[in-house]
Amino acid sequence: MFHLAIEFARWLQSTKLGVGILESGWVYPYVQLMHFTGLSLWIGTNLLLDLRLIGVGRKLNTIPELFDALFVWNWIGFFIGIGGGFLLYSTAAITFTRNPAFQIKLGILIPLGVILHIYVQSKARQWGQAEETPGIAKLMGFVELLVWLAVVTSAILIPYFAAEP
Amino acid sequence: MLLRICEWLQHNGFIVFVNSSVVTASTLEIIHFVSFFVLVGSLVAVDLRILGLAARKMKSGSLVQYAFPWMWTGFIVAVISGFLMFAIDATEYLHNTVFHEKLYSLLFTLIFAIIIQKNVGKWDQSPQTPVFAKLIALLCLVSAVAMILMGVDVPALTGVG
Repeated sequence: MFHLAIEFARWLQSTKLGVGILESGWVYPYVQLMHFTGLSLWIGTNLLLDLRLIGVGRKLNTIPELFDALFVWNWIGFFIGIGGGFLLYSTAAITFTRNPAFQIKLGILIPLGVILHIYVQSKARQWGQAEETPGIAKLMGFVELLVWLAVVTSAILIPYFAAEP
Repeated sequence: MLLRICEWLQHNGFIVFVNSSVVTASTLEIIHFVSFFVLVGSLVAVDLRILGLAARKMKSGSLVQYAFPWMWTGFIVAVISGFLMFAIDATEYLHNTVFHEKLYSLLFTLIFAIIIQKNVGKWDQSPQTPVFAKLIALLCLVSAVAMILMGVDVPALTGVG
């Protein structure tokens, strides 16, 4: 599986995509911009929703109302973030694939976070119908928040880990 | 005068401490990133609502009432964490024009956010969102994105940070 990932990374890094981004000299910051703007929408709105579930902050809007309101742009942010992330990855795919922090980020934390998020979104209407937010809703909101914090942590720690052979 | 303050900051024991170890430096970065995600995410959601592109079932004022306290919290935490990271290389940032552009876009974002907060109640009372409101929301969105671009441009173009 890892061998396949390395072969894919080797191929991707040699394509015009990865090479072009690095060689152009000016594209790279815009790729980072795409990644961070998408993530601001995705993680920013995820955190707003999780905080509402946990019950911190104002309870002016019902949970389903807030989830519905932010749904489309929450996921638009995800796809913009992933798109930017893929382009960043393509510039040094082998190094990233071998990096332990990146492996944890992409291999475990992001899939876990997305699954949790889909679960939380699917349950939001039901949880919002109760007079008091159920304990499970608060717990899932808190866990999802922690997972996204862990994703950001693993991303920031990427430069501190040498690539595994 | 500014140079002396920057030199003092760079050698201040606390500033050196928070930037010196992997644990403290990466914690600062994590805090800065998460807080600006909350800041930009909240603000862009509100801007999109005012522009009529998001959350149309909810009044703009309603979304502002929920999201802006988090937006301001993110703003303050991002500024504090950003300051602590700026301070260790203060003399380099002092004359860094790209960093200045980041601060200007931060200032414009702040101004537009305040205008939105003060006027959104009035805007909600009109049957159609006023053109001025949409203009402010668009400018706010552009300055927030510019702030991120300048933020990544500082290390990318000038090698600082």
